[in-house]
Amino acid sequence: MGVNLNDVTSQSSNDSARRSRREFLHDSARWAGALSLGAAGVGRLVGAEEYQHPFANGTRPLVKYPQKRPLIRLTTRPPQLETPMSVFHESLLTPNDAFFVRYHLSQSPPRRELLEPGQFRVSIAGKVQTPVSFSVEELKARFEHAEVVAVNQCAGNGRGFFQPRVAGGQLGNGAMGCARWRGVRLADVLKAAAPQAGARQVLFNGLDAPFVPQTPDFIKAIELDHALDPELLLAFEMNGEPLPWMNGFPLRLVVPGHYGTYWVKHVHDIKVVDDEFKGFWMTPGYRIPDEPCAAIEPGTTPKKTVPITRFNVRSFITGFESGQTVPAGRDLALRGIAFDGGAGITEVLVSSDGGRTWSAAELSPQVGRYAFREWTTSIRVKSAGPLTLMCKATNRLGESQPMKPLWNPSGYMRNCVESLSLNAA
Amino acid sequence: MNPVTFTKIGAGAVCSAAAVVLALAGQPVEPARNAFAGEAWQLPVEAPAARPVAAPLQSNCLLCHSMDYVTTQPPLTRPQWTAIVEKMRGKFGAVIPTNQVAGLVDALLIAPGPGGPPK
Repeated sequence: MGVNLNDVTSQSSNDSARRSRREFLHDSARWAGALSLGAAGVGRLVGAEEYQHPFANGTRPLVKYPQKRPLIRLTTRPPQLETPMSVFHESLLTPNDAFFVRYHLSQSPPRRELLEPGQFRVSIAGKVQTPVSFSVEELKARFEHAEVVAVNQCAGNGRGFFQPRVAGGQLGNGAMGCARWRGVRLADVLKAAAPQAGARQVLFNGLDAPFVPQTPDFIKAIELDHALDPELLLAFEMNGEPLPWMNGFPLRLVVPGHYGTYWVKHVHDIKVVDDEFKGFWMTPGYRIPDEPCAAIEPGTTPKKTVPITRFNVRSFITGFESGQTVPAGRDLALRGIAFDGGAGITEVLVSSDGGRTWSAAELSPQVGRYAFREWTTSIRVKSAGPLTLMCKATNRLGESQPMKPLWNPSGYMRNCVESLSLNAA
Repeated sequence: MNPVTFTKIGAGAVCSAAAVVLALAGQPVEPARNAFAGEAWQLPVEAPAARPVAAPLQSNCLLCHSMDYVTTQPPLTRPQWTAIVEKMRGKFGAVIPTNQVAGLVDALLIAPGPGGPPK
């Protein structure tokens, strides 16, 4: 059940809990000042009911949803849930019950009646020679199955860290996850419908719906060439189980290397078109400055924008929460994850002196070019006191992570080197 | 008026704005239970806002999204909040009369949590 915030804030009879909450809010304000120039990507659990992001107004409840363990709740309706960083330390594949949730429209997730096997069908229509529709069972029976281990990440993952702050979902770095997706190839299904000559884009609509009809439905467009790439899946399984309700049951699009905005959930309506779709969620929604690294001068407006596409390079130290105490005078084992848009991670460097010196971490075997890449290393914690750890990944194209955060007005594509503040004692 | 469950608000049934506000004011009824592989297809009850929010927010925002969409925002300026209200009117179909926009922005400026409006 949801945490009743009135209970937390005004009806609690536990004075110490209330005091500690005030302290955390105080901490939050202090962090906001201390970190305004830096890049601290990790928050911390506060007991069993709260998570504290290291930015102002970053206190969130941990709430249990169907098929989910308690996760960091950003919003209630529609639901948006984040994964605590500690989950990425448990396993390279993010467990289904901890995978993040992001919806846009009020009526989300769709109600059960629309998703049941006897009811749910996906149709492929528009500029095709043979409009077709399939139940999930028919898809499974007719088309070859395929799998990919791939990261899904929200375009706005890390938006809460932007300086100057920007409006939008104030996410920490928990709107990402890596899973083994199994389904049928979108290309095979499209070919069954046979796109007509001149077809240009493929549109995807899911069963999530707005409350008022004037609100634009969540429809995404993918260029036909890309849609025919055999890497794209219509997935029905995630980590060997049916998709969780809140991750797109019974069918979702999987677009490896691309931001989650394209991974349409509960996808039931596929339409081939011969022009460029101009719906809200393609323009002006989910667009980035048409500039290197999607970055412009903070506080300014982009001259031209393009749709967001592939992930940039990111890396994280997992296994620690911000402010955690570690032993001084000993070696400290470090582990983490790195990923990019599919070129492949070739190097991860680690620094324990605020970025002055770096040493290479060891990369674990690659599970897949779109998967989290695990890395391990150890550092010597020489003396007691504050300890700032950083990691920085590079991919096969030579793309890496900037030390200073880049900025755009929508708060997309954060990928700077994140720092983790610990205490050695 | 029939009470409205969050399950219905979140998952499809048509209901009136007054009913939504009633539910959000802390009087949700027991949501319907459905089986989902042994677990209920049931979302948590939508909690009232952590702090009281002004009437213009209750009547204009809650139809389409929960109040945490507002209260989790960082301190935003009057032009930023005005742009958001205009987006909700122009792109998302929010029915907010022009002469109520300024009052709504006044309420939004003090709605988010710690930090308050920028100096």
